[in-house]
Amino acid sequence: MIALARAELLKLRSTRTALGLFIVILVVTLLPLILIVSLLPPDWLETDGVTGFLNTASALVPLVLLVFGVLGMTNEYRHGTITYAYLVTPRRWQVMVMKLIIYALVGMATMLLAVVLVYVVIRIGGAIRGIDIDATGGSTWGDYARQIVVAGLITTFGVALGALFRAQVITVAAALIWALFIENIIGLIKPAVGAWLPFIVFNQVSAGQMPGDGADGAFTSEMLTRPQAFLVSIAYIAIVSVAAVFISLRRDVT
Amino acid sequence: MPVIEAEHLTKRFGKKVLAVDDASFTIEAGTITGVLGPNGAGKTTTLRMILDLVRPTAGSVKILGSRYRELRAPAGRVGALLDASGFHPGRSGRNALRVLATGARIPNERVETVLELVELGGAARRAVKGYSTGMKQRLALAAALLGDPEVLILDEPANGLDPEGMLWLRTFLRAQAEAGRTVLVSSHVLAEVEQTADDILIISKGKLLAQGPINKLTASAQPVIRVRSPHPDKLEAALRASGAAVTRLGDALAIRGPSAAQVGDLAHAHGVALHELLTEQPSLEDLFLQIAGTRRES
Repeated sequence: MIALARAELLKLRSTRTALGLFIVILVVTLLPLILIVSLLPPDWLETDGVTGFLNTASALVPLVLLVFGVLGMTNEYRHGTITYAYLVTPRRWQVMVMKLIIYALVGMATMLLAVVLVYVVIRIGGAIRGIDIDATGGSTWGDYARQIVVAGLITTFGVALGALFRAQVITVAAALIWALFIENIIGLIKPAVGAWLPFIVFNQVSAGQMPGDGADGAFTSEMLTRPQAFLVSIAYIAIVSVAAVFISLRRDVT
Repeated sequence: MPVIEAEHLTKRFGKKVLAVDDASFTIEAGTITGVLGPNGAGKTTTLRMILDLVRPTAGSVKILGSRYRELRAPAGRVGALLDASGFHPGRSGRNALRVLATGARIPNERVETVLELVELGGAARRAVKGYSTGMKQRLALAAALLGDPEVLILDEPANGLDPEGMLWLRTFLRAQAEAGRTVLVSSHVLAEVEQTADDILIISKGKLLAQGPINKLTASAQPVIRVRSPHPDKLEAALRASGAAVTRLGDALAIRGPSAAQVGDLAHAHGVALHELLTEQPSLEDLFLQIAGTRRES
């Protein structure tokens, strides 16, 4: 299994897909942040201006990681490399389990790096301008830890979706449309149902504020508590991962 | 000792497509065996079932005494070339092989060795998307050789190769057999197989039609009578009327069925002059057409 893990990491290092997605993450988090910290008036930065931005960035990064996970798996089918993967390791469950684990770890590491970079940019920007900016954006270290864990879960979710559906463009498009629009629409129309949908549940785990502690939102009162949301997240990951492994075992590689 | 043993191997895709139909065969150690058949005959599906990439609907196949997925360190025992495009286009040739070598616990030095063996050492740093078809085919061969396996399974390895590449491949396959490896190679180019293989499997429409050494199979096949005549139309009509199978080759005819004496007598009886009459031992192509044609007729 260690050899498989090393091979999976080499796959990530030896193409530009991972690098490209990492650059996207830097662009969506750091570039606007640098502009905000450099250009906005000090009184705005000293209040809660950065908080909203950090919340937005923490919502965007998992979406990029979701796409990263889907691409990581669907590329294997698109380019036919899955054939070689199964020839080298014919016990297919090992290939799938190791990919799920590695992508979870890479997703978590990427989110950790994004959080650290955001923190560093704010501190440096504040120091240069002589402004005392709250670099945590109102979040606690626990909030960051949960965001990092959720990033890993969402990346794994993307890998499992890729294994289930294989078709790259369709899977990426469907996952984004579902995460960005469909769940939110269902959540608005039927809050009791929406509260149980996967991406709302993932957000609920990483959210800085919870129902009853001042969060706003159209269906706040219907949302799961954080421990419930965490357990449901784990259940979602377990279900799609087991389904992905099971289908991979039975699927013909033609 | 058989290296590959297939028993009643059957694969059905959906309800309509019977890709392989009850194929039983054995492949002996140290031989080059050609798997022959037209496109869509079931060759690739058969090879993929041997390698556990496709699940048989019925029957079973063992390689080196067990199912492929049960082999310990399979890359070190069986090498396969199934799809020359099975590499990420953005990855260099060297890294494509290193990914496989790492997963199979094969040292990186071996990657360099096989790259040199297939004469891709100079292009190893280039992304695979910049490779020609022939270069991709050589890279796929290098992947098959990574673990220095005792069995090679190659699906249409000559695809995309120029004449020089074909010659290289022939020499390469012979060298593999001389080194004691067992090679199973599929192709729809009969002449290519005839020059490299010891044994053949003939597959058509999913059915295994014949198996054995090429020389034995061709010796047992009906000879072909070739005649040249100034009146080929008249002779052809007479031969067809007598029940012979006739193929027109310009002013010459290739005839299966009657003996040379019977063809000569028939021409004499119809007043047709013959400028040439000879009996040819059938080529692999003749054999294939006879076997596949017989199957179609039945």
